[in-house]
Amino acid sequence: MAMCAALRCVSANFSAALPLLTRPAPIWTCQNSLRPNILRTLYTSSRLSGALKFTDKHEWVRVEGTVGTVGISNFAQEALGDVVYCGLPEVGTKLEQMEEFGALESVKAASELYSPLTGEVTEININLTDNPGLVNKACYEDGWLIKMTIEKPAELDELMDEAAYEKFIKSLDS
Amino acid sequence: MVLRLSNRACVLSGSARLKSTLSTYFDEMGKAGIILKSASTGIFENLALEDWIPDRVDLQNRSMLLLWRNSPVVVIGRHQNPWQECNLPLMRRLGIPLARRRSGGGTVFHDFGNINMTFFTSKKKYDRHRNLKVVTSALKALRPDLDVAATDRFDILLNGHYKISGTAAKLGRTSAYHHCTLLCSVDRSILSSVLKSNTSEVIKSNATPSVPSPVKNLLDVDPTLDSNTIMDAIASQYSNEFGFDSPVITVDPTHEGLMPGIHKMAQDLQTWEWIYGRTPKFSVCSSIVVDDVTIKLDMDIKNGAVGQCAMEIPENWLPSEMVNEFTSTLNGSNYCPNETAVLMAAFMRTVSMTADVAEKIHRLCAGVVSVM
Repeated sequence: MAMCAALRCVSANFSAALPLLTRPAPIWTCQNSLRPNILRTLYTSSRLSGALKFTDKHEWVRVEGTVGTVGISNFAQEALGDVVYCGLPEVGTKLEQMEEFGALESVKAASELYSPLTGEVTEININLTDNPGLVNKACYEDGWLIKMTIEKPAELDELMDEAAYEKFIKSLDS
Repeated sequence: MVLRLSNRACVLSGSARLKSTLSTYFDEMGKAGIILKSASTGIFENLALEDWIPDRVDLQNRSMLLLWRNSPVVVIGRHQNPWQECNLPLMRRLGIPLARRRSGGGTVFHDFGNINMTFFTSKKKYDRHRNLKVVTSALKALRPDLDVAATDRFDILLNGHYKISGTAAKLGRTSAYHHCTLLCSVDRSILSSVLKSNTSEVIKSNATPSVPSPVKNLLDVDPTLDSNTIMDAIASQYSNEFGFDSPVITVDPTHEGLMPGIHKMAQDLQTWEWIYGRTPKFSVCSSIVVDDVTIKLDMDIKNGAVGQCAMEIPENWLPSEMVNEFTSTLNGSNYCPNETAVLMAAFMRTVSMTADVAEKIHRLCAGVVSVM
């Protein structure tokens, strides 16, 4: 989802640099110490291994086999404020990459959600019905939004990996 | 494109070159801030204009303020439950329509005494406090003694207590809008009666609830404050606050040539699926009394349609097979009194029953429809 960078300036909490990822990123830290050919293998297999890929609208997708789990990043949930309602699509909905698939309502606004990939919704996180705050508390784990099929795996290559996404959000400050 | 310019206001007429749309006109103007007034008082046309602008106008380097008013209508927020928020049977009797907007927030009543303001910006420039400052400063410029102030919930309070404005917003891909109401001379007796649900006790839902507040009109504290004066003051203050040299343009949001695609946007906002069908899943648990018999009614409503319907009816009043047939007829139907009445009429024609049973079914149906 798209965020207002100006919100960062207004919110005092943001002035410290990096937003914290709530789950450890072992693959990222390992990459730095590996030799190039192993690195190459890692990059191709990361598509299947469950590494997070990010959009510039601050959504993430984690691929496990043929299914992608989608959520919003820590940067996004902080900018959004307390989520009070998750408006998610029906299972079976077909989505194009960048297509609006729902909205999260928070004290800030109703913020539209945009699909990171082309595919079909296979599952929605029903825990969010009674506990929309999971999106804030555990945005990379229990606060996932939807699961979907991956019709065009090449779209994953266009997304940012964690390191690139970190760089991207740092650049938003300027 | 033919323009009539008078007193920094101009009206775009229909004799535009087909290639020119409102968007290209703004680009050609090259202004960083533009003020629009809608020529329509139709809620769906005006909500469609709010959809059209962020979709088709470049808001990265340009901000806009839209001023609009509507004929009487109740507007619910994107994730709300109309059965919980307003009195639908009363609205039908009074001919007051229901609309669902795309922004979040709570339920409001509009009539000509209410001014709506929509502040369109890029996402970077989204700043609700600053927008509300435009409104409170404008009012204070008109009447320096007026006690109006914005709260941290983005309401505006009069005399520290009465709500005169509520806010809602929508963040899109690259742009955002913040809109708010302003009570100038709204019919408060209609407002309070339509915004009081007749069925909220029987509904269990996790839809976003409204926060009811005591309200007042600006006219109540100063009978010389009329909507037009206030709109002019707000337009002027908008330019001051943001350092714009904004012209004020009146647009007709029904003009498809000027705003291609806007007609479909207005149509989409009027479908049953959007207005009622978008209601988050909820359940109805009600006791209705028919002929001194208490009937317990349980329904699950998903996407505005009856998913599961169960009734507890004494066996000696109506046989259970009849009750089962009745409830299975309701399953899958829209939670709508007209549709239900039609279904029930068909049910009574096709299922054989004695006159006595028919009479009971008829009254049972009336009871069921009364919660819709």
